[in-house]
Amino acid sequence: MKPRDQSEPDRLLDSALREWELKDPLPPRFREQVWRRIERAEAQAPAGLWPQFVNWITQALAQPSVAFSYVTLLVLAGLLAGFLQGRVEKTHTLEQLSARYVQVLDPYQTHH
Amino acid sequence: MKRAGLILISGIILAVAAYFGFYFALTANSRSLASSHEPELQWLKNEFQITDGEFSRIAEMHASYRAGCAQRCRLIDEKSEELKRLLASNSSVTPEIEKALAETARLRAECQEKMLRHFYEVSRTMPPEQGRRYLAWVQERTILSDSHSQMHH
Repeated sequence: MKPRDQSEPDRLLDSALREWELKDPLPPRFREQVWRRIERAEAQAPAGLWPQFVNWITQALAQPSVAFSYVTLLVLAGLLAGFLQGRVEKTHTLEQLSARYVQVLDPYQTHH
Repeated sequence: MKRAGLILISGIILAVAAYFGFYFALTANSRSLASSHEPELQWLKNEFQITDGEFSRIAEMHASYRAGCAQRCRLIDEKSEELKRLLASNSSVTPEIEKALAETARLRAECQEKMLRHFYEVSRTMPPEQGRRYLAWVQERTILSDSHSQMHH
């Protein structure tokens, strides 16, 4: 048996709903529009991490300052990587050439 | 979405272009040296800031030294072969083995002496400061090096 304090509002609500009369007719295709809204809301709901990430990137890159920073950062990273790799390569080549010079002149030089 | 994709791809393309641009600019000189005729001599010219006139004299010395060096190495090889034969056919140190050892040592000492003379000549052809630097550098890697135990000619 339900307690009195809970059943009392239900009775009031029931009687209010029974007395409520709709004077205005529903708009045409009301039910169909409701279902459409529900479908749209479900489609917009987050489906997973990847779509969320794509959405976040799209929104972030839409701001010119973020887009400019992104491109600048990548260009700087490319320059730094090119500089470091180029320096290593250059040092290696020059060391090889200097070792070759010594080997050409010194018959007792071991191969390095 | 299309605009964001375009920015993403543009950033990557620019980064790759920056990488290769800097890499090729930085290694242009060393790649040019490595692909030149007698790259070790071109390296010497570049490293010790040798003028064209000095370089042509050094190149002549270099060619002359290499010809003599190859001849001396042939003599050392012949002596080494002779020493091998003597060691294989004797069970004690004979006068022939003593003579072959002394001759091999003499040839090796002569080889090192010629090499050292060549270094001095080359250093004198360079500007004084570069000559001193060259001499210290080349002696450190040849005469003063610990690796004088094996021939490669």
